[in-house]
Amino acid sequence: MSQLTDVITSPDTETRNRSLDALCRAATLEELQMECDALDRFRRSSDNLYERVRALFFLYAIHRFHIPSKALGTSRALIPFAGYTNLLKRRFEEALDIFLAVQAAAGPSAALSSALAAGYRSLGFQTLADQVRRSVRSVRGNRWMFRAAHPEDAPLRIRPELLNRQAKDQLFPVLRESTPVRMDLSHSGWSDIFFLGMDYPEGARVLNISIDLSAHRGDVPKPPVEAWFRVIDQPVLRLVSVDLHCSADLGSIAEVFDFAHDYLGLLKAAVIASGIVPPGMEGATQPLTEVLSHLTGLPGHGIEIVSKVNDIPRGSRLAVSTNLLACLISLCMRATNQIRTLTGGLCEVDRRLVAARAILGEWLGGSGGGWQDSGGVWPGIKLIHGVAAREGDPEFGISRGRLLPDHQIFGPQEVSPETRRQLQESLVLVHGGMAQDVGPILEMVTEKYLLRSESEWRGRGEATLILDDLIAQLKSGDIRAIGALTERNFNGPIQTIIPWAGNLYTDTLIRRVRSEMAEDFWGFWMLGGMSGGGMGFLFAPQAKARAQERLQAIMSGAKREMEHAVPFAMEPVVYNFTVNEQGTQATLLDGNAALMPAGYYQLAVPPLLRMESRLLSPMRRLELEHFTAACHTVPEFQGMVQHVFEHLIPQSAPKAPGSQNLDALLEAHGFDRQEHEQIQADLRSGRVGLAQNRLPISSLITDVGAGDLYDATTGAAPKYHAIGKEALAAGRVAVVSFAGGVGSRWTKGAGVVKALNPFCRLGGKHRSFVEVHLAHSRRTGRLSGTSLPHVITTSYLTHDAIQSHLAAERNYDYPGSLLLSPGRSIGLRFVPMERDLRFAWEELPQQMLDEQAQKVRDSLRATLIGWARQMGEGSSYTDNVAMQCLHPVGHWYEVPNMIRNGTLLRLLQEHQSLKYLMIHNIDTVGADVDPGLLGYHIAEGAALTAEVIARQVEDRGGGLARIDGRARLIEGLALPNEEVESQLSWYNSATYWIDIDQLLTLFGLTRDSLASPEKVNAAVRALAGRLPTYITLKDVKKRWGKGQEDVLPVAQFEKLWGDMTSLAEFPCRFVAVPRKRGQQLKEPAQLDGWLRDGSAAFVESLCDWE
Amino acid sequence: MRIRKAVITAAGGTQRALPLQTLIHDGTEKSVLSILIEQALTANIDEICVVVWPGDETRYAQAAGSHAGSVRFVAQQHPPRGYGHAIYCARDFVGQEPFLHMVGDHLYVSTSKPGVQRLVKLAESESCSASGVQPTRESLLPRFGAVAGRRVSGRTGVYRVDTVIEKPTPTEAEQRLMVPGIRAGYYLCFFGIHVFTPTLMDLLGRMLADDPNHSVTLSAALAELARQEQYLALEDTGRRYDLGARYGLLTAQLALALNGRDRDEVLTHLLELLAEREMTPPAGGKE
Repeated sequence: MSQLTDVITSPDTETRNRSLDALCRAATLEELQMECDALDRFRRSSDNLYERVRALFFLYAIHRFHIPSKALGTSRALIPFAGYTNLLKRRFEEALDIFLAVQAAAGPSAALSSALAAGYRSLGFQTLADQVRRSVRSVRGNRWMFRAAHPEDAPLRIRPELLNRQAKDQLFPVLRESTPVRMDLSHSGWSDIFFLGMDYPEGARVLNISIDLSAHRGDVPKPPVEAWFRVIDQPVLRLVSVDLHCSADLGSIAEVFDFAHDYLGLLKAAVIASGIVPPGMEGATQPLTEVLSHLTGLPGHGIEIVSKVNDIPRGSRLAVSTNLLACLISLCMRATNQIRTLTGGLCEVDRRLVAARAILGEWLGGSGGGWQDSGGVWPGIKLIHGVAAREGDPEFGISRGRLLPDHQIFGPQEVSPETRRQLQESLVLVHGGMAQDVGPILEMVTEKYLLRSESEWRGRGEATLILDDLIAQLKSGDIRAIGALTERNFNGPIQTIIPWAGNLYTDTLIRRVRSEMAEDFWGFWMLGGMSGGGMGFLFAPQAKARAQERLQAIMSGAKREMEHAVPFAMEPVVYNFTVNEQGTQATLLDGNAALMPAGYYQLAVPPLLRMESRLLSPMRRLELEHFTAACHTVPEFQGMVQHVFEHLIPQSAPKAPGSQNLDALLEAHGFDRQEHEQIQADLRSGRVGLAQNRLPISSLITDVGAGDLYDATTGAAPKYHAIGKEALAAGRVAVVSFAGGVGSRWTKGAGVVKALNPFCRLGGKHRSFVEVHLAHSRRTGRLSGTSLPHVITTSYLTHDAIQSHLAAERNYDYPGSLLLSPGRSIGLRFVPMERDLRFAWEELPQQMLDEQAQKVRDSLRATLIGWARQMGEGSSYTDNVAMQCLHPVGHWYEVPNMIRNGTLLRLLQEHQSLKYLMIHNIDTVGADVDPGLLGYHIAEGAALTAEVIARQVEDRGGGLARIDGRARLIEGLALPNEEVESQLSWYNSATYWIDIDQLLTLFGLTRDSLASPEKVNAAVRALAGRLPTYITLKDVKKRWGKGQEDVLPVAQFEKLWGDMTSLAEFPCRFVAVPRKRGQQLKEPAQLDGWLRDGSAAFVESLCDWE
Repeated sequence: MRIRKAVITAAGGTQRALPLQTLIHDGTEKSVLSILIEQALTANIDEICVVVWPGDETRYAQAAGSHAGSVRFVAQQHPPRGYGHAIYCARDFVGQEPFLHMVGDHLYVSTSKPGVQRLVKLAESESCSASGVQPTRESLLPRFGAVAGRRVSGRTGVYRVDTVIEKPTPTEAEQRLMVPGIRAGYYLCFFGIHVFTPTLMDLLGRMLADDPNHSVTLSAALAELARQEQYLALEDTGRRYDLGARYGLLTAQLALALNGRDRDEVLTHLLELLAEREMTPPAGGKE
């Protein structure tokens, strides 16, 4: 009988909550396999959704963490390509069957377990998401919207009040909705994630407060999100976002479902979720005219919906987008009579309806918040808690809890007006400036919860107690105690469950605020899913004014220090706020007041004035008259005439930000215009491109045999250790860390110096990549008795930041010589070719997203192709800050740069016995100068030894292969098709050992000729010409507005170091190393698994911090 | 309980000419009004009152034809205050008796026992108010009042009404008007034929007095009626035709003809029309 299926099905709570890790730790490999078989059978047969999901996560965790940690012997299997492509297509069941069949035939292996883990995890999340979706659809009041599929079915009608123009010279009335945002005092360990609330309703509790905000000192806080609705005399759906400066007239149903076409996705989601164009109409091809004439009852008429967010940037952790969605939905539902009251607040039934529709809207838009996020619809301070599903609920029999929580609003008897006032007088609310994706954190929480990881479960229990204490303190009115509790929550349960919720920036702020404000600082308060963006600091009331001032200075100072290391989206802000005791409210503006907000007219009037007045609709003409009158009488409209006038005057094209120094930068960093133009011509003519990166299809590519590499996965032979130690002691080796990159994947294109990113807490502190590598070298130096020279290669993007950072940190007291090797090559990015975008998106295997998210992505891609065409395919990309327009030209140039810029010469002059280099990527955090590997390289007499690791499912991008008879590394870009990669057992970990003299010989140089720039340059150019140039696509962020970001694909070229192994005269060796040594950290989402599978501890064991 | 009286409302401001239209029923030309009166009479009704727009009495009396003598015409008081008010204008005629109520802008066609008779019989046997209802697609909700109720065990098509909502949105309908046994997306909407106890007149009177500046809907009074006394709904299998809809009159005429003795003749005409249209080559087409 399986012990783990018992844990899942047991009626006893204590048994059900037993930790998987604890149960698996002592099990043997055979026992784990038996459990896996039983769990897989169980998850296929169980009718209960949550039992199935839990079994899937158990299977994931066993394959991800426990099986690989058991001795797997030498069994090494390839991951079948058919299974891998099924994973990408989200056909998880089929993928799992293929992997299991191979496992049954070939026995367990780390590679197959990695594939199985990926499959089980994805299937688990897909099952959960499907269930939430089903629940959203089955909420009464939502179901009809999925049945209404034809314009004739549209059953909603506008309320007569909105059609009632008081006189012929009056406009249609305007309905305005204003909604506060929400902040959470505690979310009890992210218990507002839908899955948690539905599985563990008793533990799902959030203290949530509706607030108004202002970002400017002296301004009175007001509801931060607002929306307007009116009938118009044109048969279109007009959507306008005032803050995003965007508007569109939609004429067809299909356009409403095209979410990523413009910045109006949220408005579209609201139109759909409110039932005006119900979700059942997705795919309909008809024009909107019929729906609109049904809706308004007036042929030839349509509606206009306008939204505005007042001065709150993204990442505020105040659920701005969910509350804007709820605001828009409430507005549309009032206008169509689905809510009882046209104006004023909402009753509880209607608030719940709006919340349910907001969840639907979030799902439609492909995003997903927690169930507390539409809290701004409710007034004041409330406890939001999960509810057990009862008979009659659509969830009954499927999940333990309901989809929608209950809201218990605290009245003045429970939390006194005095306490509310004191809270306002103590809390300083800020946006720290970081805008991060909280999605991976929510996935980690779900996973850990389902596995009942010991520390997670302990943390969850503690968070529950803290929430009880917070309620008690709110009721007793002790704000100081609240501050202590929120900080305890952050330092305790939150970071116990998810260490990544904190970061160096937040820690620095807390430390500095405490040191300045001392006793007056009552505690830190994390808002939402993670820190760094919206945050709270509680102070003694008398110190609040000073604290606001000081916090702004402290945040700005810390940002300046860290902005190269940490992704900031904006300048930090201190808000003014008040508790909003009304919740969402609506007002009807009629007569002369029936106007949109002033910002709307800044956007709308200039194009209207450019039109001939006879082309304007009668209402537009009338509106212009009313607007002109309002400019004289309504304070909000004062100064508008001038604004509009300024917009009308033709202005010279705005310079792209930073464009003034792009040319200077290109000049300074050795930009080769001739080479750029050559590549541009090749790119446009199709001579180079993604498809042309590939080797000819006739190349014979096979996996390497045992004789092609040396297996050091369990350590190198002692004889090699001895050789290596001796070389170390003699000072024959130096380390080169590649640190020219800006962590495109690490920060999703935000562009920070990855080497400096404080990515993880190690040895009790947040450490950056560069610090980890220096700690490796420090330890190696100490063990070998000589200090190890360490070179950090930089690029134009990273050089200054790394130089000043190391200076500020005094080189982390590194005892040996530490040199920077600045880049000497630079490229200018290109607007991509449509054929390359299509090749990347349509021909290369793609990770399909969840159904709705995929639709959004497809729509976005269509828009991006349009963008490329409009910008001019293959033209130089200059429409961004200079740093985002330039690109490093591939790590092949890193070593030649050392030759060109004199670093190698200096190194050899300072260390005359130096003979070998170990070069590695900055994110290969397990790479150190291992004496055994060094000894192997020396003993073999190789010019270059490349390290490889056994391929697992996530290792994509080439590897070690036998190509036309020669063992060499091949880049993923160059593989003639994707299937080949799955036949290669070894993945390149990008750590190389180099014999300096043999390398120089290859270049046609000697130690003596290094001093001659002409010789060196000619040598580098000659060798570069022999290596392939790859075209790649990179995502860059373009920032605008208030923390808004566009992610754009741009083309660039690069040459890669691995291709050195293709040169016949260059003797190369390959060595297989343990995964913990060779693994590269490319995405923050990897960190949690890396920490839990022991890799972090391994890295720490290689470090000497002091 | 015996039902002797009927009230037909024909007062809607823009549609008051509809009951005056003539249709051919079994070879005889008749006004809509007289067809309705005849339907009422088949249910053993003795006295009929028609509520009309002030000044319309004579035209309506003409339209009632041979029945004019047995029908009383009452003009709706000014200002008109909605459907509920129109019915209330017949309060003196009704007195303290139950009554049948039909709307003048609809026509009812049934292939089996007429719905009016079945409804009157049900109300008489149960001594309570009863309304004809029909499962109606949710896209038509903006046109009707709808009820929520439970099936009465052992009685096919009979429901005990819990509440009534006038022209609900589908959102509200789904939350409050779902009836077990009715297909998803369908709701029990009024068919336009009702039998009311005198309580309804009391309720309408109170509502009109309580809020003298607003219209009163019948549905609001019926929601209150359902709270106060037993109120049943009977599923009607016949068809109703809204004469005010586009081509409403034409459709009603066709339905009437196809359901009567001239069925074959009308069908033949229709087929000829269709065939002629299909055979005619398009303009400019080749032979």
